[in-house]
Amino acid sequence: MKNHSLASKVCDDFPILKREIYGFPLAYLDNAATTQKPQCVIDSLLRFYEKYNSNVSRGVYTLAEEATEIYESGRESVAKFISAQSSRNIVFTRGTTESINLVASSWAQHKLKTGDRILVTEMEHHSNLVPWQLIAQETGAELVYCPIHLKAGSNGVGLLELEELEVLITDSVKLLAVTAVSNVLGTINPIAKIVEIAHNRGVPVMVDAAQAVARMQIDVTSWDCDFLAFSGHKVYGPTGIGVLYAKKDRLDEMLPSQGGGGMVSQVGRQASTWADAPQKFEAGTPPVAEVSGLVTALEYVLEVGMPQIQKHEKELTNYTLIKFRDFADLELYGPMKITDRIGVLSFNLQNVHPHDVAQVLDEGGIAVRAGHHCTQILHKQLGVLASVRISFGIYNDVSEIDRLFSALDRAREIFLD
Amino acid sequence: MNTKTIFRDLLLDHARSPRNSGYLDHPDLQASAYNPLCGDELELALELSGEIIQDCRTQVRGCTICIASASMMSEFILKKTLSEVIISSKEFSESLRKDTENISEIMETFRPLISLKLHRSRIKCMRLAWDALEDCAEQFQT
Repeated sequence: MKNHSLASKVCDDFPILKREIYGFPLAYLDNAATTQKPQCVIDSLLRFYEKYNSNVSRGVYTLAEEATEIYESGRESVAKFISAQSSRNIVFTRGTTESINLVASSWAQHKLKTGDRILVTEMEHHSNLVPWQLIAQETGAELVYCPIHLKAGSNGVGLLELEELEVLITDSVKLLAVTAVSNVLGTINPIAKIVEIAHNRGVPVMVDAAQAVARMQIDVTSWDCDFLAFSGHKVYGPTGIGVLYAKKDRLDEMLPSQGGGGMVSQVGRQASTWADAPQKFEAGTPPVAEVSGLVTALEYVLEVGMPQIQKHEKELTNYTLIKFRDFADLELYGPMKITDRIGVLSFNLQNVHPHDVAQVLDEGGIAVRAGHHCTQILHKQLGVLASVRISFGIYNDVSEIDRLFSALDRAREIFLD
Repeated sequence: MNTKTIFRDLLLDHARSPRNSGYLDHPDLQASAYNPLCGDELELALELSGEIIQDCRTQVRGCTICIASASMMSEFILKKTLSEVIISSKEFSESLRKDTENISEIMETFRPLISLKLHRSRIKCMRLAWDALEDCAEQFQT
């Protein structure tokens, strides 16, 4: 029985949490990788195929009209969830990665030229680095990295060096790509402030909100970012569905990167004209069932309540940070101040490889991530090849953190003298 | 055998004092292997006499399983021919398949590793040195 109020309230909603791993109840602490799905989301996928399945925006019959309604009203729900100006600003994609790649190929590719710069940060996930590298190689632009405070013991360890960011935003910078929350350090970046700095120099901003979406209120209108991307599966929704938010002006600047049905207006033998955004960027049959699942997930999150989710995550994170202080052999990366971070904590147990740690944890039923978490640049800066990462969801509670620390004792027993 | 026994009694000795560790001054073949999942890196160097592996060295930055596997492999392949050890490499892969129940006599040496095969994410750690060995064999053939 979970002893935390929110966890005990919601854990029965998630059927997978009834699983046992090696005879232990599953303690799922890999929510930064993907979140588990509540029954209502699973039901919503089933319901779509059982009652509404048909193609969207194409048929003149009841089923097709209902499916289209599900899909297009899904756009409105998403717009509302992130406080976008209109549902026209919402493009459905397969996930954060595809959303960022869409901006890279549809916008950056024709906007950038030799000598231009794309400003990124050292804490970016590969999905917010590699698409820009591909574009840089094609256009002759280059990537510039905003550094992170990493000196142990110094104030603000794990935070972006904002003074340096201001220095790096020169006239040649044509885009700033930054994550709202680090998937390794747990750092919360001050997006509104960063956007303001960038816009003062006329630089558009792309925000990776993959880790933020399930952990904080996203408000694209007050953040004023130009682009924002997130995935459904990291906010208790299905895989295979993601969102790109873009300001209208930016959507108008974007060229389609995929051609096909649904994205065209008139098709001639040699050339065609495009549908308006967002359909212009959604060639082919879209993921309708997944949109239905995503909308259900967002409704579920709103019902649980973002303030309650944040309070719960803060409690778990605080509890863990205090526990970490008791062990000199645990090196935690990222901010120690609770206001600077979310419940994503990466660490190493001295002299034990993260993979070895993770295997021992798994044998105690505890699912964590071990590796570089798609941040090789950051891990190089941290001076380690890999780390162990725990990341909380709404169903986790302190007893699972206690189990984690007991399992770390077992790892010490096995691997250390 | 539980994990603690496997690691403490069988693998940690190899991981802490890997056999044939280091570099060769004049290797006939060398290859590196990389595990993108965790960033583990391995280098393998072989000295040949004809097709026989006269000497070998591995240099590993990796987990217990990766280092121990490379160490065990390095002992196993010495004085054997490249063709022989490539057959063993295939046998090792076969032993690591989820549905393989029996392992051949020659693979007995690797039983401690093979007994961890249900941790499917560790297969790449076990295979890293062997992947480098197969790379060396391919270079030899071409």
